[in-house]
Amino acid sequence: MKNNLFFLIFVIFFTSLSAQEKSMEKNKIFKNLRCLVCQGQSISDSNSDFAQTVKLVVNDLIEEGKTEEEIYSFMAEKYGDWIIYKPQLNRQNFMLWFLPYAFLIGGGLIIFYLIRKKREKT
Amino acid sequence: MLSNLGNILLFSKVLLSLTIIYFSYQCIKSSREIIFKKIYQISLLQSTLVLGCFFTLIAAYVVSDFSLINVYQNSHTAKPLFYKISGTWGNHEGSLLLWIIILTLFSFLFLIYNNNHPKNYRLYTLIIQNILILGFLFFILFNSNPFLSLSPIPKEGLGLNPILQDPALAIHPPLLYLGFVGSSIYFSAAIASLITNYSEKSFAFSIKNWVLISWGFQTLGILVGSIWAYYELGWGGFWFWDPVENASLLPWFAMTALLHSLLVLEKRNLLYFWVIVLCLITFTLSVTGTFLVRSGILNSVHTFASDPSRGIYILSFLSVMIFGSLFLLLNKYRKENKLIYSNSKETFVLINNWFMMFYLLTVLVGTLYPIFTDVLTNNKISVGPPFYNTVILPVVVIFLFFMAIGPKAKWVKNRFDNLGYFALLLFLALVVNFSIIYFFKSSTILSNLVIISSLFLILSSFFDLVNSILKSRFDLARTISHISFGFLVLFIGLNHNFSIEKDFNMKVGEVKSFDNYEIQLQNLELKTYNNYKAIIGNLKIKNILLKEERTLNPEIRIYDNPETLTYEAAIKTNLIKDYYLTMSNIDRSEFYNIKFQKKPLMIWIWISVAMLVFGGFLRIFKNAKIN
Repeated sequence: MKNNLFFLIFVIFFTSLSAQEKSMEKNKIFKNLRCLVCQGQSISDSNSDFAQTVKLVVNDLIEEGKTEEEIYSFMAEKYGDWIIYKPQLNRQNFMLWFLPYAFLIGGGLIIFYLIRKKREKT
Repeated sequence: MLSNLGNILLFSKVLLSLTIIYFSYQCIKSSREIIFKKIYQISLLQSTLVLGCFFTLIAAYVVSDFSLINVYQNSHTAKPLFYKISGTWGNHEGSLLLWIIILTLFSFLFLIYNNNHPKNYRLYTLIIQNILILGFLFFILFNSNPFLSLSPIPKEGLGLNPILQDPALAIHPPLLYLGFVGSSIYFSAAIASLITNYSEKSFAFSIKNWVLISWGFQTLGILVGSIWAYYELGWGGFWFWDPVENASLLPWFAMTALLHSLLVLEKRNLLYFWVIVLCLITFTLSVTGTFLVRSGILNSVHTFASDPSRGIYILSFLSVMIFGSLFLLLNKYRKENKLIYSNSKETFVLINNWFMMFYLLTVLVGTLYPIFTDVLTNNKISVGPPFYNTVILPVVVIFLFFMAIGPKAKWVKNRFDNLGYFALLLFLALVVNFSIIYFFKSSTILSNLVIISSLFLILSSFFDLVNSILKSRFDLARTISHISFGFLVLFIGLNHNFSIEKDFNMKVGEVKSFDNYEIQLQNLELKTYNNYKAIIGNLKIKNILLKEERTLNPEIRIYDNPETLTYEAAIKTNLIKDYYLTMSNIDRSEFYNIKFQKKPLMIWIWISVAMLVFGGFLRIFKNAKIN
């Protein structure tokens, strides 16, 4: 029974993934680009002319067969890193991605240490 | 005239605060066991004056007294009365007055509601709180005085930003301020506790309700802000991880951690110094948030230069607060020698704090990082929703499991004899999750995990709830808050996964169809209102499958003073879903861009948060009963 359940999970994950991926892809890119003329809105959320233009450009890039990463690089080159909401992992942004996990692990170690030390005293 | 009255009131408030500090100090030195009567009286007078000061400013707004620069800059005679009043705290100077009100009222209430605690502890709290009040009073007087006068007196004011002309402005800031300015009182109490060595259980007891009150209002403030953003900003979301939003979330994490660790201090006399640290950082984060927002440093580093005095004042105040409390803390710190067993309720509370600190630090790093890259490498980056979703969401999954298991653990020492029960819950959660996925046919691995973990928490809390009704001795407040949090995550997850978004460019009369919907732009109407003109779209949305028809009327508004263009979304809410529609003109052509969204279970997100707060307030009433 256990095996059947895992099989079910497996099938559901992968069928749903492939069916959806393509339609989600474009929206995901729009959501990750900042509308530069708006106050805190993504390209996907904005009504502005700038957003409309960027949407057309992204559509063209997808047609040309560019990958998601290539599109971000293209946009960042043209408008600066400011346009991308999810900073890319590079030397400059290393600490941004690294610190949260360092806190997570560090916090866990502190708790572990606290509990262990107390146990030794008994 | 109102300008003079306001200034006199502000000055007398400074004198009163100084008097309170002086008398409190005298009282501490005296050998009498009770607090001088005059301290109560002056505190009461102080609270009355601060309200008088605020009403003076409101009066200036109501009669449109443009001899006040503040009124001139933020009001207009043609504005409806309601927005004249709420405009009072819709600007930097006026909102600072609201700060002072809450600082003062909380100081007075804390004084009179803590009779059964030692004299010196209460007096030191009063002194510290009045030092905070003085700090902000000086800020108002020398830098951001709402009562500054202007001559010659202008005929007309500049008006209030239309986005702020909304009922939400009347309640959103006061609620949030009750939350994070309210946290000042346990900042002061924590310092007083360090000074007077008043620690442990009874200290936890004295601040418990204040933490719950500020937490409840902070949550409500964030809720109202989110609802406001949802219907006003026109993109259909309610949380954007915007720096200003983050600034309100940071103290919330600290408060949530605090109200859990207070339980441990109260029950087991453990974690005293950690509780103190949390008290201190909650208010520190509130002031930090204010600094970041008011100095303009967050939106762009350059506006900081245009108004450096504001930022520099708060920054110096903040440094004094941080270094002062840090110095005191290190001075008083001593090791605790009590036991925490790895398997106990204490450990689970620590785990809660661990996750809260992780969220807090992640959001803090995300908010501040762009400032550092800009200063150090002159490269501006954005840290937006995709970053926070990637880092925080997977951790939330684990957090929810702990949140379900934790409350079941016993104090001191615990044994898990209920593993079978948890396995059953997990199985149920899996079944429900996969039936949801099967039904809607759309998901990713992470969203599955989020749904499963929130269902696990909901089911576990639900059985607790049943138990509590049967045995009538369970912790109802906690159960309600935990189950609501589970529902909150579940509904956000479902909403995020199953929202539909489409946009079209269409002319009047055109019909577009997609999935099983048909949408038609029937006509446009031009209307003139008191302070704005509106183009109102008349759109029909037909669900072909359900044979259901709805009319939605999004608007494009042109406000007069100041002249601004805004887009009003049309929203149709019911228990299952929201329809959300916005309209904008394309290049002054006959084409309109129509954006249609279907957002399932939207209203349940708001209800979950309201229930979360309800749980918190229920706990306050329970505490009041016990006392």
